[in-house]
Order: sequence, then C-alpha cells, then structure tokens
Amino acid sequence: MFHVSKSYLPGTWALQDVSLEVGRGQFIFITGQSGAGKTTLLKLLFAAERPNEGQILVLGRNIARLQGRAVPALRRRVGVVFQDFKLLSHRTVEENVGFALDVVGTPRREARSRVFNTLRQVGLQHRRYHHPMSLSGGEQQRVAIARALVGEPEILLADEPTGNLDPGLSVEIIELMMAAANRGTTVIVATHDIALVERYRMRTLNLEGGRLTEVDLEGGGR
Amino acid sequence: MRLWVIGAILSRAAWRGFRGSGVTAWVSVVTISVALFLVGAFSLVVVNMEGMLDRFAEDLTVTAYLEDDLTPEQASDLAKTILAVGVIEYVAVVDKEEALERFRRMTGGAALLEGIADNPLPASLEMRLNPEDRSLEGFSVLEEAVVDLPGIAELRHGREWIDGYARVASLIRVSGYAVAVVLSLATLLIVANTIQLGLYARRDELDILDLVGASRTFMRTPFLLEGTLQGMLGGGLAAGLLWLCFLVLLPSLEYGLTFLLGQTEPRFFGFAEILRLVLGGALLGLVGSMAALLNRRS
Ligand SMILES: Nc1ncnc2c1ncn2[C@@H]1O[C@H](COP(=O)(O)OP(=O)(O)O)[C@@H](O)[C@H]1O
Ligand SMILES: [Mg+2]
Repeated sequence: MFHVSKSYLPGTWALQDVSLEVGRGQFIFITGQSGAGKTTLLKLLFAAERPNEGQILVLGRNIARLQGRAVPALRRRVGVVFQDFKLLSHRTVEENVGFALDVVGTPRREARSRVFNTLRQVGLQHRRYHHPMSLSGGEQQRVAIARALVGEPEILLADEPTGNLDPGLSVEIIELMMAAANRGTTVIVATHDIALVERYRMRTLNLEGGRLTEVDLEGGGR
Repeated sequence: MRLWVIGAILSRAAWRGFRGSGVTAWVSVVTISVALFLVGAFSLVVVNMEGMLDRFAEDLTVTAYLEDDLTPEQASDLAKTILAVGVIEYVAVVDKEEALERFRRMTGGAALLEGIADNPLPASLEMRLNPEDRSLEGFSVLEEAVVDLPGIAELRHGREWIDGYARVASLIRVSGYAVAVVLSLATLLIVANTIQLGLYARRDELDILDLVGASRTFMRTPFLLEGTLQGMLGGGLAAGLLWLCFLVLLPSLEYGLTFLLGQTEPRFFGFAEILRLVLGGALLGLVGSMAALLNRRS
C-alpha cells in the first residue's frame, strides 16, 4: 500500500497518505479510536472501496484500479471477518461455512469434508448442524472465521472481530487467527482494544485521523 | 464437471430461494397467473370468434353466371383459368340441372316451374377466396380477371360482405394483440417489483455471496431461474383456471354464445396454445427478474 488516500466527502479524509507493507504470513494489528479509518483501510484491501489516490498491491495485483469483473477472484483469496459475524440465521453452521466453497463450484463431497476440517480447526465440528442463533457470540465468530478460512485464502482481514465478545473469548479468537498466520496466511486485525493488542506484542500500527504510524513496542516483537 | 457442479449448486439455490421467500414467491406466481388468465381468456374469445369467422367465410362465395351456350368442357376450362389467377382456393361448376334442383329445394316443391319445358336458370361458377385474400383487394383482383372472360355473363359479388368480414377479422386480431401487449407490460412491472421484494428479503445472503467472491452470474442465476419457475407455474395455473372456467361457465352461457358464435361449437385451447401460455409465463418471469436485478445494481 503506497501513499493511499481515501475521502468519502469532499474536504474530509478518512485515510491520508497511508503507506504500509505486510509480508506473507505476517500477523499485524491496526489500532485506533473509532472513526480513525480502520474499517476504511480494510475495505480498500478487499476492494469494497476504491482509493482516491495511491496504489494498493495485493497478491501481486494493483487493486486500486481493479475492474469490477476481477473483484470476485480477489475476494476468493481474501477472507474477511466482521464484528457482527454476518452469518445467515436460517442456515446451519455447515451451510454458512460452505457458502465460500459453493461460489467456486467445489463438489459437494469435497466441500463437506473441507468444511468439517475447518470447523475442527475452530473447535466447532460438533455444532455443524446447529443454527447460528443457538450458538454463543464466541462460537458465532468462530463460525465466521471458519467461513473466511475454508477457501484457504492467502490473506485474512478482521474488522473488530472481538468487539462483541468478552475478554476471555477475545483471546480465543485472536489465537485462532494467529494459528492461521502460522500456517502461512497473512492476517490483519483492526481493533480499538488496546489491552488486547498489548497482550501479544505483535507488529502494531496506529491510525489517528486517517494517518498511519508504526507503534514502537518496547521490548520488541517476537 | 465443474460446470455441472455449479449448475447443481445454482438450481439448489433457486429452489431454496423459491421456498425460502415463501409468500413473496407465491405472490409472483399468482400475479403472473392472473395476468395470463386475462390474456388467455381474451385469446380464447378471439380464437372462437375466428372459428366463427371461418365458418361464416365458407358462405362468402362469389358466383359467376355463365352464358347459356357454353359446353360443360368450356365451363370447366373457364374454372381452371380462374383458379390459376391465384386468389381463390375453391371453384365448382354448377350446371343448369343442379341450379334447377337447388331452386326446387329452396322453394320446397316447384309448382312455379311446373309446365315450363325449358330450364330458365343459368349455369354458374361458385368460387371461394383464399383466407388471406378475403378483402376488397382480393376481390378486385378476382373481379378484374373474371369479368371480361368470354363465356361469363355476370359476376354477382358479395363485395359488401367481403369488406365487412375483413374489417371484423382484423379488428378482432388487432385488439387481441393490443390487449395482450398491455396486460403483459403490466404483468412485467408487477413481476419485477415482486422479485425486487424477494431480492430485498435476501439482501443478507447476497451481501455474503458478494463477500466470499461470488461472480455476478453466480448471484444472479438463482433469481433468474426462480423468476422463470414462478412464471411457468403462473402460466400453468392460468391454463388450469381457464379450463375450469370453460367447463363451469360454459353451460350457463349457452344462449349468449349461440347468439355470438352461431352454430359453431365453442372450443378450448389445444396443446400448443397451452404450451404457449406456460412459456409466455416463463418469459414474463425471466424478463421480470432481469429487470429487478438491473435495478438492484444501480
Ligand atoms: N460510507 C461512508 N460515507 C461517508 N463517510 C464515511 C463512510 N465510511 C466511513 N466514513 C467516515 O470515514 C471516517 C473513518 O471511518 P472508519 O473507517 O469506519 O473508521 P473506524 O473503522 O476506525 O471506526 C469516519 O470519519 C467516518 O465517518
Ligand atoms: Mg470500524
């Protein structure tokens, strides 16, 4: 991401001259108060918004000028998780996760076994025939993570993934995503929960008024 | 292989959507069927009136009286010449004896002709215009070709009859098309709106599909299939309703119909016409859902 700026309304900048480079398999936090531009930054990364200025290289493609037809191909390689989970309440856990495989035409048997394996990674294989409403918040977010990971994306984006969860469950969620990073997925987590970030001492960047700065962690990263 | 898998996934999604949107889906089906019922009822009337017109047209004969000294061979040569003009579908020679026989039958006994040794009635040619030439133009062509032929004494024309027939036939046909077009447009609007409601009811699902990288085609196809399915069901329902009405209402309308149609037996649609109704419904559903989807993007 090079010198990227984004404005929703003329005269105001949600992001201003932001540059950022994240290596493959890295895990990073983006922090900042509400309204700082975290969601905007993530949206640019999966082409839900376009920058006004600057270039964005994702997986070797410049998505600042990505054609509408090319967006689905990008989204299949980028998993996204939100604060409000975005699960379909009238579908089972298995179907919710399977959605991500349907769109690429994975045969049914293969899809079922991949969904099962991914649900096992997040510890929910025994809940696969349940409906999201009968699960706890933490479990619902794990289903959302499973949906984001089942297509084996190279990048995982999480926007306030722990915003609706108790601190104990938050740790669980972050650790699942770290496990994904250890398997080679690049993970970017946006959160305003400083306490959570301080627990881990991973690379952290702070957004303030649309400007991004690297946070110096005393004691260094791991 | 992959295409097949995607096809299966999409049809499942369409069927799910159809059941899932419940009331909305049935509202479209019923809407389509009501509109097609009206179109169908109207075309049923048109079809039957056309049947009546055909029956009527059989009596629309043009008669050419022949001169008395013509031999039967000359008469039939004349008939061939006129047939070759190309505007009539049928011609028959009515000789003097046949004419007398008809006259006797018409007057019931023939006291009038008793004692007359010589048959005073002329022989004639009876002709019927081709269906597509049953108009003033067709008649004029025939008249021009026949009037000056040697051996023809007089052409008795049903000019006014033919003109009236042509007007009624085209009036029925044109108003039939007009009503069908207006009704179809109205249905299209309603279907598009109903399907738009369906899209709205499932915006969460569409948002998530968008998020996980579904192509535009993948998101749209289930809705198009669903619309088409609704249209086909609507068309079938309309055909069924029409058939019911035909069976139930017909006996009580007997008198009025006899008045309208004359001796013609009222008939229901054939297989091809029912198929057209169902396919028409499918088309309405398909185009309606396309319109709704186009609307969503903007
Ligand atoms: N769709 C939008 N239209 C207009 N302004 C927006 C929109 N989305 C975000 N903004 C503005 O952009 C700024 C950054 O928002 P956002 O990226 O959501 O911050 P964060 O996720 O850090 O809370 C805010 O001032 C917000 O009001
Ligand atoms: Mg936000």
